[in-house]
Amino acid sequence: MKRLVFLFVPLLASCAVYDALTMTGFDPNEYRIIAEIRADANRYKLQCDTPTAQANARALADKTQLFEIYSEQIPSNKDGYGASKSLNEIAQGLVKRYDTPPVPTIFCKLKYGSIENSAQVIQHVIGNRPR
Amino acid sequence: MTLDDINQQLAALANCGDPTFANAAQYVAQATAAAQAGQLSPQDLAETLKDMQRQLDIIQDMSQLQFKETLNTCINGLIMIAGAV
Repeated sequence: MKRLVFLFVPLLASCAVYDALTMTGFDPNEYRIIAEIRADANRYKLQCDTPTAQANARALADKTQLFEIYSEQIPSNKDGYGASKSLNEIAQGLVKRYDTPPVPTIFCKLKYGSIENSAQVIQHVIGNRPR
Repeated sequence: MTLDDINQQLAALANCGDPTFANAAQYVAQATAAAQAGQLSPQDLAETLKDMQRQLDIIQDMSQLQFKETLNTCINGLIMIAGAV
């Protein structure tokens, strides 16, 4: 048993080191898309009562979908892709909700709040990627 | 678990000192209050709570990535130092 532990611990450590060494570097396009998503969510949150609300939701969901697709094929980016997928799910949920109006203003604001907070978390980490 | 228990746990999270968890607790409290006031349907409340779970997934994924970034910086620093010696 002890032998197994001695074998397993360095293996885990070396996996983490390998992941860290092969991780993808800073990508200005990726950073730009997530910054735009955050800025749009912040702006659209204030337009939940306007006639453009549904179009805003569609526009933002298109951008989160682009972000997911963009992240998908970046090598050694499993965590980044997972986050982009979750972010897209949040945005697509708002678009779907507009299929059955009326959409409560508070629901719209909470959705954009979620997107904005998540985008900020992602932006912070993407911005710190090795250059 | 009663609604009072949930509210107590949310209050504890809101005051835990970690801004991420405090924001999350505030978000859930806001959604629950809106549902209690009749501004959100049960379906809409469920969707906003699912969003909270998605946000937590994102935080978890990004924590992993941040750990690797820090490790990467340390290893590169060590390689530079080793090269200079």
